[in-house]
Amino acid sequence: MHLDLHTADYLIITLYFLFVVAVGWVVKYKIKSSNDFLMSGRAIPLWITSLAFISANLGAQEVIGMAASGAKYGIMTSHFYWVGAIPAMVFLGLLMMPFYYGSKARSVPEYLKLRFDEKTRSLNAIGFAAMTVFSSGISMYVLARLLEIILGWDFDMSVLLSAGIVMVYIYLGGLTSAVYNEVLQFFLIILGIAPVVIVGLHDVGGWDGIISKLTPEMTSSWKYMSHADDNPMGVDTWSLVMGLGLAMSFGYWCTDFLVVQRAMIARNIAASQKTPIIAAIPKMLMPFIVIFPGLIAVALPYFTEGYQLPAAADGGPDYNMALPSLLAHYYPEGLLGIGLTALLASFMSGMAGNVTAFNTVWTFDIYQPYFVKNASDRHYLIVGKVTTIVGVLASIGVTYLAASFNNINDFLQVVFSFVNAPLFATFLLGMFWKRATGHGAFAGLLAGTLAAAAVHGLTIAEGKGGWIMVLHEYGSGLSHAFNMAWMAFTVNLIVTIVVSLMTKPKKDAEMQGLVYSLTPRVWAVEGPWYSRPLTLAIFVSLACLALNFIFA
Amino acid sequence: MEKYGDLRFIIGSFFMLSGIVLLTVAFSVASQKTYGHQLNFYGGLGMILFGAFMLWLHQRQAEH
Repeated sequence: MHLDLHTADYLIITLYFLFVVAVGWVVKYKIKSSNDFLMSGRAIPLWITSLAFISANLGAQEVIGMAASGAKYGIMTSHFYWVGAIPAMVFLGLLMMPFYYGSKARSVPEYLKLRFDEKTRSLNAIGFAAMTVFSSGISMYVLARLLEIILGWDFDMSVLLSAGIVMVYIYLGGLTSAVYNEVLQFFLIILGIAPVVIVGLHDVGGWDGIISKLTPEMTSSWKYMSHADDNPMGVDTWSLVMGLGLAMSFGYWCTDFLVVQRAMIARNIAASQKTPIIAAIPKMLMPFIVIFPGLIAVALPYFTEGYQLPAAADGGPDYNMALPSLLAHYYPEGLLGIGLTALLASFMSGMAGNVTAFNTVWTFDIYQPYFVKNASDRHYLIVGKVTTIVGVLASIGVTYLAASFNNINDFLQVVFSFVNAPLFATFLLGMFWKRATGHGAFAGLLAGTLAAAAVHGLTIAEGKGGWIMVLHEYGSGLSHAFNMAWMAFTVNLIVTIVVSLMTKPKKDAEMQGLVYSLTPRVWAVEGPWYSRPLTLAIFVSLACLALNFIFA
Repeated sequence: MEKYGDLRFIIGSFFMLSGIVLLTVAFSVASQKTYGHQLNFYGGLGMILFGAFMLWLHQRQAEH
């Protein structure tokens, strides 16, 4: 598959590059302090923080990957949204943001320092900083390889151009520049991909047409979930709800600083609460933009002879090409430029999210406590700017590492899952159980990570894992990951409780504003009833429930 | 006015310009694809309208 770009397409791509750099240039003059550069002065309006919250997560791997999963697993992929995102986003807004924001912590690791101790903060900060660099590097590798295949663009040029632009606009305008661009990127992704869904659905006869041609397992999200063998995803209800819906989803949406940072820069505590809840509204509708192209790609050949999903090297369908192949099939010169710019934008928003989170965590949670403690604010502003350059260069290094070693992507994904799987238990106990101690949290985190590694080493799926011995085989890689996640979460929970009960807790006075039972709940009653976080949370939850029923 | 400048102006300008490019292509280049002309025409029109809406919001924000 190859796409030919014309003058109008290049014009739109150039226009986009000019605009994102211009955003950095405009914001540059308003950056006066490290707080402006790394925390946006906590002065960003609600509509911007909400859209940035969802856009930071809307990376290239999400846009390409969810269309691929839609083609492979069908509408069951929506579980990553309606089970694996919305409930956690609502929980974050309703119950966790008051502590993140109210504690005045500048980052998620800093909250752990305030609530627990320095060693728990360091463990989280170092693991998170490493993961952001690796994530953006791998994302860049995926994008550059895709552009090489579909456009024939040089790999090195794609890497240097896209990473260079992200570096320039973040270096100039810091977090504000990244957040502003994420909003522009959000609209571009929606407007750039929506036409494919509209004309695609028209050609396949709408949702009814898709149902008429695909197997029932592909068009039902819950009906075939009672046993892992009955559905294309190879997962059962228990592992889906406990693994994806609880451990993985809450571990990511409620503790990952990349997304939580967008809520932490809101103007006040109520806005910080509403940020993830309002973001949940477009997030809930994202399956229609990113999953439906996959379903259309597998249904379309039944309706037209002019389209086929490209074949992979092994002769089977190349699901990763679902979205690019639809863009090639439908988009004319001009709109093709918009579609490709949407793909570039998805990569940039993901990378910018990683770089800005890395900036803040490195400066406030690693550099300030361990290298230079009491320097001037200007010193930390310069450190933040230099860290931008270092972060982008390190990401480029990871990109070439991924290009050199075929298996490194898989290896890193597995390591990330070891670190991420148990995380939520630490925050859950930290915020809602005042007896939890720093020693308990640290031991729980380590034990949870080791438990995830042990489960991976003792079980196998799709030929992966089982490097200690094989005690059990899962039906799919997803089932393997989901089960590993809830087991790691449970181990963390138990170890944290046991060690906490054996160690001395902090005094109540030191935990005010950090723990639910020791914090006055003034935030819940601000503003008219219809705009309160609780009202919005109920509305979002009901809408999410309705979507689950409609596509069940 | 927002502390760091109004984002609505930036978004509005970008989509207005992109929409103009699409409309220009729709009226000047004969597309070989099934929905080629319609996609560029309605896509361009949609972007111009969205851009204009954002610029209107920016104007309203500035006046307040």
